Amino acid sequence: MAGIYVYSDNSELNGELITLARTSGQEVCAMALSDADAAEIVKFGPDTIFILKGQNPIAESYTGAMAKLLTDQDASVFLVGATVRGRDIAAQVAAKVRCGLISEAGNLTFKDGAVQANRFMYGGLTEQIETGKALTAVTIPSGKYQSVKNESVKSVVVSMTVDTDPRIRLLGSSPVVKEGADLSKAKRIVCAGMGFDKKEDLKIAEDLATSMGAEVGCTRCIAEDRGWMPASTYIGISGAVVKPDLYLALGVSGQIQHTFGVRDSKVIVGINNNEKAAIFNVVDYGIVGDLYEVAPLLTEAVKNS
Amino acid sequence: MSKIIVCFKWVKAEDDLRIDPATLNVDLSKAKGKISEYDRNAIETAKLAADASGGEAVALTYGAADAKASLKDAMSRGPKQAFWVNDQSAESADGFVTANVLASAIRKIGDYSLIICAEGAADTYAHQVGPRIGAIMDIPVISFVKEMKIEGNKLTAVRKLENSFEQVEVELPAVVTVLPEINPAPIPGLKAVLDAGKKPVTEFKIQDLELDQDDITRKTEVASFKGCSTSRKKIMFTEGDTKERVNALVAALKKEGVL
Ligand SMILES: Cc1cc2nc3c(=O)[nH]c(=O)nc-3n(C[C@H](O)[C@H](O)[C@H](O)COP(=O)(O)OP(=O)(O)OC[C@H]3O[C@@H](n4cnc5c(N)ncnc54)[C@H](O)[C@@H]3O)c2cc1C
Ligand SMILES: Nc1ncnc2c1ncn2[C@@H]1O[C@H](COP(=O)(O)O)[C@@H](O)[C@H]1O
Repeated sequence: MAGIYVYSDNSELNGELITLARTSGQEVCAMALSDADAAEIVKFGPDTIFILKGQNPIAESYTGAMAKLLTDQDASVFLVGATVRGRDIAAQVAAKVRCGLISEAGNLTFKDGAVQANRFMYGGLTEQIETGKALTAVTIPSGKYQSVKNESVKSVVVSMTVDTDPRIRLLGSSPVVKEGADLSKAKRIVCAGMGFDKKEDLKIAEDLATSMGAEVGCTRCIAEDRGWMPASTYIGISGAVVKPDLYLALGVSGQIQHTFGVRDSKVIVGINNNEKAAIFNVVDYGIVGDLYEVAPLLTEAVKNS
Repeated sequence: MSKIIVCFKWVKAEDDLRIDPATLNVDLSKAKGKISEYDRNAIETAKLAADASGGEAVALTYGAADAKASLKDAMSRGPKQAFWVNDQSAESADGFVTANVLASAIRKIGDYSLIICAEGAADTYAHQVGPRIGAIMDIPVISFVKEMKIEGNKLTAVRKLENSFEQVEVELPAVVTVLPEINPAPIPGLKAVLDAGKKPVTEFKIQDLELDQDDITRKTEVASFKGCSTSRKKIMFTEGDTKERVNALVAALKKEGVL
């Protein structure tokens, strides 16, 4: 049956996508890979849930089966949660059904069998509106849309055995230990960039954060290149997108891929010893200076205020 | 010797984009090209994989005339030769077209054991071309890889998911898309730059590849392309010594009600 087909390996995102798909007025069909997943999805009341049952535990091995379902059912849109798995699956399915893929989309609208959405380019410096006419795949990041439960709809459940790709084999999986602050809810964030010379010096950022009741975040380089802070605390287009009342950057150059993640902050402050640093183009308040001098003084001033 | 093909994209440097603050129109004409940052990590990964497994690292790009400058740059980073699909259409290609073109070029290059892409390109950051290539060529894909190892015909990799690391294995040939942290991308030395000038380049035209009209026709349309507006106060505290500046900042933040 034609309609919007939804898949995510993340149950919250499933709720967001199904709620979004409802706005189209079209049939909403969700895909699940197990009975347990389907039991989660049913709360959001899609019209139909297709449970695809295969052998391989890796969701990415279902792309052939998903592509077949979309083709057989003459789907109009394939909406996928933009998680790591979701991005991979959406791209492989799009290639298999030979359709377009609008990735990490926002402002999605459905009209006359077509979709339109915005997406950022150049790290968030520019934005483009993309449209797709025939079947189009779209990935949506988490947290962009509300998720509304709807238990009044009695979803039709269709269970089917499918072929999965045996060529990719799961050997094991180890959880990432969650450390560091949950920046998404923080009111104030002090962000550490590569202006810090050594790991121990991050204490300066921590002290400032403590003085103002802030959490500490960082740039990708601090987390991934230096390994000084957990990956969950880096901010930007490939990390956390935050909207605190106050975002204060210490020794952050202000490249677009990073500042993309803080643009919805109420107030942005930058402290950098290079007056030409890009951060000063996107701040409300700035001080040109050595963070090793400015930050401790700021900590004192906040404590005394 | 089987090839390890790394796909890299010659992108416009975002620092050179000019955005008109009134109209938000974007002027790309002054922008210089560069090898997409994360593709440099992918190139290094191809080089190291070739060194370790005895294959030959080669670089492949689909780009317009200005991408010519990328070839030497790419080869100075290790690959032994470069392939260039030289066509103006690269400037307006979407992920569907790009992946079709690259997959056809890869078939034409032949004798490959591994295809490496970065997770995403600096301009699009769409995370789609790599997995699409795997699907088109019907070979397995491992995406978002932070570590990998090749032993004989087997590739094992560690993928980084939101809440876990996942160990997977495939038999070659395969496609991997790599995270930048897989390998740092060193700046090539002078000798490597000089040597790159002597390495062979093969140029393809779209017509040389087995592609039909539908393969090279975008599936999505771009209805508008605009700069994002950034309107911030940009107040710099420059008066007095550091202590006075800091005090002025604290006063301003109090007034904003964010402290
Ligand atoms: C596709 C793509 C995605 C990306 N995604 C992200 C992302 O999600 N998040 C992210 O953060 N980055 C991301 N990046 C990387 C990003 O482009 C920048 O390289 C990175 O944000 C720079 O980090 P930084 O500001 O800490 O370091 P640098 O750019 O090295 O800046 C350090 C700054 O500190 C200043 N400084 C040095 N010493 C001092 C001192 N004593 N006192 C004060 N200031 C000092 C310097 O003037 C400089 O401006 C991405 C890049 C690409 C290509
Ligand atoms: N025109 C191109 N030429 C060669 N490789 C490309 C091209 N476009 C994308 N790629 C590869 O695919 C990756 C992901 O691109 P994207 O899906 O656009 O984010 C890039 O990092 C490159 O490795």
